Amino acid sequence: MNTDSGHIVEPGGSMHPAGTLPAGDSNGMDDKQRRRRYRMYRWRDYGVGYLFMLPWIIGFAVLVAFPVGWSLFNSFNKVRITPEGFKFDWVGLDNYKRAFVEDNVYSIQLITYFQEMLLMIPLILIFSFFVSLLLNQKFPGRTVVRAVFFLPVIFATGQVLTELFVQGAGKLPFIEQYNLEGLVRENVGPRIAEPVLAVLSKAVIILWYSGVQILIFIAGFQTIPKTIYEAVRIDGATPWESFWKITLPAMVPFIGLNAVFTIVDLFTFPFNPVMDHVRANMFKPATGYGYASALAWIYFAIIIALLAVVLWITYRAAKGRRAMQ
Amino acid sequence: MKSGGFTAKATAAISRFKRDSEQALGSRRAQQVKKMLLGQHTNDGWLAKIIILLLLAVIGFLYLQPVFYMVSTMLKTVSDLIDPVVQWIPRTVNWQNLSDAWRGLRYPEAFTNTLTIALVCSAAQVCSCAVTGYALARLKFPGRNLAFFLIIVTFLIPPQITMIPLYAIYGKLGWLNTPFVFFIPAIFAQGLRGALFIIIFRQFFLTQPKALEEAAKIDGASSFRLFFRIMLPLARSACLVVFLFSFIWYWNMYYEPSMFLGKDFLPLSLRLNLLQEELMGNTQINFNAGFGKDPISEGPKMAAAFLIIMPPLIVYMITQRWFTEGIERTGLVE
Repeated sequence: MNTDSGHIVEPGGSMHPAGTLPAGDSNGMDDKQRRRRYRMYRWRDYGVGYLFMLPWIIGFAVLVAFPVGWSLFNSFNKVRITPEGFKFDWVGLDNYKRAFVEDNVYSIQLITYFQEMLLMIPLILIFSFFVSLLLNQKFPGRTVVRAVFFLPVIFATGQVLTELFVQGAGKLPFIEQYNLEGLVRENVGPRIAEPVLAVLSKAVIILWYSGVQILIFIAGFQTIPKTIYEAVRIDGATPWESFWKITLPAMVPFIGLNAVFTIVDLFTFPFNPVMDHVRANMFKPATGYGYASALAWIYFAIIIALLAVVLWITYRAAKGRRAMQ
Repeated sequence: MKSGGFTAKATAAISRFKRDSEQALGSRRAQQVKKMLLGQHTNDGWLAKIIILLLLAVIGFLYLQPVFYMVSTMLKTVSDLIDPVVQWIPRTVNWQNLSDAWRGLRYPEAFTNTLTIALVCSAAQVCSCAVTGYALARLKFPGRNLAFFLIIVTFLIPPQITMIPLYAIYGKLGWLNTPFVFFIPAIFAQGLRGALFIIIFRQFFLTQPKALEEAAKIDGASSFRLFFRIMLPLARSACLVVFLFSFIWYWNMYYEPSMFLGKDFLPLSLRLNLLQEELMGNTQINFNAGFGKDPISEGPKMAAAFLIIMPPLIVYMITQRWFTEGIERTGLVE
């Protein structure tokens, strides 16, 4: 039956005009044949669907599924490149063990980066939420200001950001003015101060990663019906109360969505050390593809954990809201 | 006596009334002013507007400060850069940096390369993602939900995972250092953020009325004609949004090119890395090289960064509203 899907592409073989199907001319046909015809029709229909999906299916198989599988396989092997091609020696979890035990750079980089990420994600979310809240108000020149806050998405090339950071342009000016660095260093331990300072030193560049999030939040605000605000206002709620009781709860799904988007966006963050480390190890003869793949999978595992936590929190918050109503 | 008392009472009443009415008028005036300033619900008055604008102006300035820094540094001479007195506005506007950067980036060549990648890939991505999104929204076939789930998963897989196998595959096919490493995934709906674009198209097609398709089907249009003649033209706005976002992201992409592109085909972002080497031959003196902040290379580097962000900036200026309204327009958020 599945092969039937091939027929529909034939030139001239016009698609089933929706009218010719089973019911009408069924009088002379016995039930079995009718059912078969119907099934054929169904599969033709499905065939069109699969045909539309074909580019994606091929792309997914060759460019996603196969590389992911191979990468996972690599991570359990020692991969050597010989003139005849790849040679795989099964080493089990050895690559992963080495990443934690032997590699004295990776685990530290990873921990520091995730500490930074745990700071960066709330920073981006709060900033974009706040700005979109302001942009959602009515005032003259709103479209222009909106355009300004989206601007960084336009020029967020990794190299350009790195250059700006190297030149020290990514800092917030008042950090030096009020000697915030010293303040942070004095008040918290060095363990925490390190990532905090790292984030502060590129604060503006991090905030540049909130362009799309701002748009999503603004679009989210539009989904809350105006009538609700009117109703609570008549009941005597102040704007402050209606923000906490209506706006924020309604925005929970969007906050979750933006958190996920931010995490994905930070994969290719120019200061993400995982990339360089993976690449460096990939071409090192001592480590090679296998070890580099293991490093990437460790990173992926932590990302998945992070995503799971975000989704769980969003789900819980949304559910709590539903229960309240 | 009687009448006198009456008049006195009356005048008292009148004056009281006058006072009351004056007070009422006054307080009405005051209320009007108050309403204008604070608004009916405190967030729609002038005061709120002014505060919002002020806040946004300050945040906006901080936000865009690196860009101002870029432009200001670009126009400074080396002596201006070293001089601590000169902060934002250079003493003389110096165009030397720009021409250095132009040369150092090999701008015309690198620009063409970047533009080719961005244009071809975004066009391919619009087509492939529209087709996939349409199938997911409107066509019925077993495994549709699985496909949608897999698309979301693709979005969440870090490029670090697939990078190594892809490098090997492209190497085998001899595509490394050619733009094909970007064209081919885009054609097969696996380009940069392809999953996101598929979801955008899916959401868009879901919002379209079904009656249209039914009518066309009854008139005997095939699914393909229906899609290309009716649905795709309807999706013009979604196509434009996807094209623009895709263009910008391909233009700004730097991780993938740094992996797959080498000597022969360099986009702008990689040229920026080579800028110092490229210009080193030209600048005789190069003190404290290797340090981050080096006044000699700083000017050309910022100029180069400016040259790189300029083309997308122009695109953005023309198509600004498609970006900022695009996400609402396509109904992605619902």
